Amino acid sequence: MKRESKPNVEPVALNGEQPHLEDPRVVLSLLEADQVVAAKERMRFGRQKLSGGVRAMLWGLRIYVVVMLVIVFISVLHAIQAAH
Amino acid sequence: MDRPKPEPNAAPFIHAHPTTESAAASSTAPELAGLLTHEDVDRALDRWQVSQARREGRGSKRFGGLRVLWLLIGPGVLVFLGENDAPSMLSYSADGARYGIGFFIPFVILTFVMGFIVQEMTVRLGAVTHRGHAELIFDRFGKFWGFFAMGDLVFGNFLTLVTEFIGVRAGLGFFGIPPVVAVVGALVIVAGAITTGRYWTWERITLALAIFNGLFIPAAILARPNWHSVGHALLTWMPLPSGSHYEILLLILATIGATVTPWMLFFQQSAVVDKGMQPRDINAGRFDTILGVVLASVCAIAAILATAPLFHHGIDASNFQGAQFAEALEPWIGHTGAALFALGIFEAGIVAAIAISTSSAYAFGEVLQTGHSLNRPLRDAWPFYLVLLGSAATAAALVLIPRFPLEFVVLTVNVIAVLAMPPALAFLLLLVNDREVMGEHVNGMWANVAGVTVTVLLICAGIGFGLATVFPKLLGG
Repeated sequence: MKRESKPNVEPVALNGEQPHLEDPRVVLSLLEADQVVAAKERMRFGRQKLSGGVRAMLWGLRIYVVVMLVIVFISVLHAIQAAH
Repeated sequence: MDRPKPEPNAAPFIHAHPTTESAAASSTAPELAGLLTHEDVDRALDRWQVSQARREGRGSKRFGGLRVLWLLIGPGVLVFLGENDAPSMLSYSADGARYGIGFFIPFVILTFVMGFIVQEMTVRLGAVTHRGHAELIFDRFGKFWGFFAMGDLVFGNFLTLVTEFIGVRAGLGFFGIPPVVAVVGALVIVAGAITTGRYWTWERITLALAIFNGLFIPAAILARPNWHSVGHALLTWMPLPSGSHYEILLLILATIGATVTPWMLFFQQSAVVDKGMQPRDINAGRFDTILGVVLASVCAIAAILATAPLFHHGIDASNFQGAQFAEALEPWIGHTGAALFALGIFEAGIVAAIAISTSSAYAFGEVLQTGHSLNRPLRDAWPFYLVLLGSAATAAALVLIPRFPLEFVVLTVNVIAVLAMPPALAFLLLLVNDREVMGEHVNGMWANVAGVTVTVLLICAGIGFGLATVFPKLLGG
């Protein structure tokens, strides 16, 4: 897999004048290969295989959020009751 | 590292990889030439301007000259001034009104440092991958985890949007403007900002509005703060807040939530992508983020200083909302100061309403794989604009419902932001350490140490809050 190419491709429109953006070659020369909308639609980063440790961490954080939200909900109800 | 694995039954696609290859030099260029969109053309124009500025400013090697910075600042300033939103400015105001000049001034700076650590990673992710945060989470971790992340975002964003319109209503309420006029007017401004069909114009309009976050600075000066106390607080973090430990912990959590929240991750990465930033722009993106941190922290500290007279004069601000701060401050900072404060709350609400509704729209567009760019005309990306305006309009409508529990929303919003942040940071750290995604721009050791430290601090703050709520006697409360 090609990892990185050097950013040395000079855009063709770099002549100080307003670029002719109706020319697709000019547009393409100003964008990176995976910056074009059509290219992004067909090229995707595939699934990453998650290790057991990462899965456990994500589940732990998910449980943390749910428990904390319940606590927040209860505490706010108490605060509102106390205020009234 | 494992090779990426496509989802079962997923449509075939080509594996993306980090590259800085020009689209014109790619093997698919002839095919892409026939598929260019309005979005591509607008982005190309933005890139041409940056290239021109960079060529003219070659003397300045680090950023490429002031014009390059002018062209590339935006997402970082917007995200931090946007996060100085109505509930955040009210949290800072509560810090100042209840505990005066002391611990909370350096603490706010610490939270902004945490914010920079996190947001810098989104700049790199966006510039290298050209993809938004939601899109990357769905691609790399699948729908199961993706929907959890989206759930946190949508829930948090919507609650926050409601509080922005509460801020708009409260800020303009100080001037006697009826709630309906204030809220509908704010909605018109949100809609107006997106009618240009151009990211650049939207960004500059929103930046121009965001600068008015600085209204808190003259309000602070009118409060005639004791600068010696400010310097002492910055150096020593003293005096520490005293009183109910539970309330202090709640305010600490709300203050963290005023600076570090999930919507910021999604927004800045998507804005970096929409702006068309590339890996060579990462340093400018970092500068943009630092500029945002500096501007927003100055305004946040100004809000603390502006309300500190309430603490010094023993005014009970424990149940103050929006305009009540401005009204209570009038005897101490005058009508002009109070009016500036109220206008500041209005501005905070309006800018955040624009940024947060855009953040929701970006995320929806990325997940549903429909057009999600402010460079797209309305007819090309109507679902994107519908989510943007629909979420803002629904939040605005809720604020106008009589007896809607606005108090409940304001109390919870920043705390929920802090609690939802650790899972969002976990995804961020996994992505930014993923060499398949980041290539050479993968996180270094110190960035990971800083990122993990922020995550652990947020978890500890959340657990501390939970324990103090369930076992109030633990803190002597």
